[in-house]
Amino acid sequence: MGRILGTRLLRLLATLFAVTFLSFIMTSLLPGDPVNAILGVDAPRDEATVERIREELGLNDPLPVRYVNWLGNAVTGDLGESYINRGQTVWGDTIVQRLPVTAQLAFMAIVIAVILAVPLGIIGAYRQGRWQDQTTSAGVQVALSVPNFITGIFLIWLFAVKLKWLPASNWNRISDKGIFENFKTAILPATALALTQMAIFSRLVRSDMIATLQENFVLSAKAKGLSDRYILFRHALRPSSLSLATIVGINFGALLGGTVVIETLFAIPGLGFRLINAINQRDILVIQGITVFVAVAYVLINTVVDLFYSVLDPRIRKS
Amino acid sequence: MSKRSLSKLLALLFSFAMIAAACGSDSSSDDDSSSDTTEGDGGGDTDADDTDDTIAEAGEEAEGDVDTEVVENEGERVYGGDIAVGLEAEAVGLRPWEDSCSSPCYNIMVTLYDKLMEQTVDGQYEPFLLESISSNEDFTEWVGVLRPGVVFHNGTPLTAQTLADMFPIQQTGAASAGPVTAANLAGVEATGELEVTYTLSQPNSAFPATLARAGVGMPFDPEAAAADPDGYSTNPIGTGPFMIESRDLDNETVVVRNPDYWGVDPDGNQLPFLDSISFRPIPDEGTRLDAVLSGTVDAMQTLRQGTIRDARAARDGGDDIALLEFQGNNVGGGQFNTLVPPYDDVRVRRGLTHMNSQENVIEALGGTGISLPGTQWFSPDSPWYSEKVAAAWPQFDFELGVSTLQEYVDDPERSDGKAVGEPIDVELSCPPDPTLIAAMQVLEQTWSASGLVNVELTNYDQQTHINYALGAENGFVGEHGAHCWRWSSEDDPSVGLTQGLAPPTAEIAEAAGIPDVVSPLNFANYFDGEVFGAAVASTQTADFDERYALFESIMLKIAEDVPIWYSGHTATAFVTAPDVQGLIGWHTPSGELGIGIPNVEGRWAEVWLAG
Repeated sequence: MGRILGTRLLRLLATLFAVTFLSFIMTSLLPGDPVNAILGVDAPRDEATVERIREELGLNDPLPVRYVNWLGNAVTGDLGESYINRGQTVWGDTIVQRLPVTAQLAFMAIVIAVILAVPLGIIGAYRQGRWQDQTTSAGVQVALSVPNFITGIFLIWLFAVKLKWLPASNWNRISDKGIFENFKTAILPATALALTQMAIFSRLVRSDMIATLQENFVLSAKAKGLSDRYILFRHALRPSSLSLATIVGINFGALLGGTVVIETLFAIPGLGFRLINAINQRDILVIQGITVFVAVAYVLINTVVDLFYSVLDPRIRKS
Repeated sequence: MSKRSLSKLLALLFSFAMIAAACGSDSSSDDDSSSDTTEGDGGGDTDADDTDDTIAEAGEEAEGDVDTEVVENEGERVYGGDIAVGLEAEAVGLRPWEDSCSSPCYNIMVTLYDKLMEQTVDGQYEPFLLESISSNEDFTEWVGVLRPGVVFHNGTPLTAQTLADMFPIQQTGAASAGPVTAANLAGVEATGELEVTYTLSQPNSAFPATLARAGVGMPFDPEAAAADPDGYSTNPIGTGPFMIESRDLDNETVVVRNPDYWGVDPDGNQLPFLDSISFRPIPDEGTRLDAVLSGTVDAMQTLRQGTIRDARAARDGGDDIALLEFQGNNVGGGQFNTLVPPYDDVRVRRGLTHMNSQENVIEALGGTGISLPGTQWFSPDSPWYSEKVAAAWPQFDFELGVSTLQEYVDDPERSDGKAVGEPIDVELSCPPDPTLIAAMQVLEQTWSASGLVNVELTNYDQQTHINYALGAENGFVGEHGAHCWRWSSEDDPSVGLTQGLAPPTAEIAEAAGIPDVVSPLNFANYFDGEVFGAAVASTQTADFDERYALFESIMLKIAEDVPIWYSGHTATAFVTAPDVQGLIGWHTPSGELGIGIPNVEGRWAEVWLAG
């Protein structure tokens, strides 16, 4: 276990260096200038002020110097301050503030996806090749094919505009408005995110379940006269869930950085919404901070999933 | 639960949802109450016939002009109520001296801060926080007298010394240093308890316009600002009708009634009427409109013709909403980089402009029946609008465009260095907005159809687009060719014209004998000594006729040299729930009707919730 952790740690450091270096270089080489965003598009321009702001933000330093300065601060936990929202720290005021929102969305999306995917996957496997399988497969194919923002637009139209059951946009914080009001603003975006995940998960459960149902122990259970439902849920589901557990973990990590479109569509103040604004405004340190955070989270979650996987299956641990 | 039961439940839920959607509050089945609710109250429809006591905007209304007229509010004022307003973007900060402010931000700022001056319905500037303002003969010294009894949200009184103490902060503020320089503002002195004297380094008859924008015109508490400049952004202190309650960046900014507000409406009612306003950034146009249609918010702003079209369709389909449309001087189109071949030749610019079918471009933008084609910086109902300029503007004439361009293509001395007969290369660039791309495709097809133009369409995000036009890296020449842009506003025209027509580079300024005058904001790089002289002259006189003649001469020259081209005037709108009243018919303290909602910047003090 110690060796696994050591290897993972080294891999994490290498990944972080690559991510921070590349994202810093790429965002800095973009043609836009954060000073333009600070001053406004057509605002009267005072060149002395422009120069002062550039100096204050360190934008006149050579790129390698800026990167090294940033890295030096980052290892002490200081990810800097937003160029645009002055006084807002990247860590405390941006990531820490917004992570709970994105994490909640990602978590809800995963939960919804798993709840839908497991029965669909089981039905598909149990009724392989029959109309139930074909119907769920077709449904899953549709869910995979439709981009989540299209799903989001449909959900807004149906549940907000037509039925007026749920709000169309924005976010009620649990701390301000309670869990029920929070749920009302979270359920539509989480569902929009969930459908693609559900499609992936159910395909996975179906294929693993089909393989499991052909194992000798299942045949043996059938020979004992156990009911199909008992065999499916008590004997076949657990060994068919290993791939699901892995992909759930990986996709949760991916969702932390993959909610940009849905957060923007629903105007949800998570990491993704902030990231897209930061890109548009060339708010380099915010872009950098969120990118690094998402990369760290992704690698850490993958590591945990791998460790969990090896706990679940002793054969992996031994290998 | 058995498999069959689960299937039945899912099928039932889906069916129920679809039936409920079909029967739900689709207001097509409602009576058309929106027009009744807003009739004659200044609140809503574009149907001006519904109002008896309409106060017309300055100038003549053009046929097809879709403005909601600025009219007096009617109906019983009601105190109380909370509303939510959907904005197209978040305000990056709420400090007038530091944070650049566009339309969404202004909606929040005007609830927290009052301006020293405001514009009235006829486009003139009138004192707001100031009680009076006057200048010396050559417009280099302006003396303003503040309204007595005004206090900041923290109880600090607003005095002339406050304005004087603000000035050092404004001189170095990211958002205010530019306006200070552009206005030639050299000093601010308290010459009495409430009397302030502004000293300018050069004449500026349009100085009151500077006092009507955030950079210089919104008083803040200089002591609190100096003590905690960053904190001021989340805890702004102004004299406005509302005070900050909470600021949750990218989600919600809540302002609540200022109980000590100085303002009253023309009937003597204490302002404001509402208890609170929640401003919510909703960047997606469709979601923002859906937010009003679903009741998630009570009002939303849009600067997109396509959204206005969709909102009109929703209203006409029976949705219970009101539209407050405004089409001011802001006009879209593009600019040619006149320092770069082939755009440095007027034959190319005129040829391409003659091949610009404004009607088709506006249709692609979703603005048919919404936007008026532009011929100048001013819309037909602006006091500065000129029929002469409209007649002089190169109208769509494909054959004339081809023949004009052919002259250049066949010229052995053509500036792009290509061989005679070879098509010109044009890079046509816009930000990646779907409607803008559609509009540019119309231009591309028309220009390409001439057989004389190779068009390359490019799309860059907003920051890159601006940066290419600014060209800070190449002496402000820029890296653009034919570049989408917008011009003008309801501000005094001299503000934009003196910046937009000044020498664009140090070399040109040197050659013109005015080495100290360089404007990076002359994005088209078009410089003509006489035209710039006329812009400067407009800051040295307050006589309307003189200024009108100067602006007309500038617009005529632009029509002749076409450094820019126009599509249509920018239509903007607030879409509101029918009970939101009083948004368009706000007043200055003297009882004059305000300018309305240019650039969808609302004034929220006189807004109330009916019934």
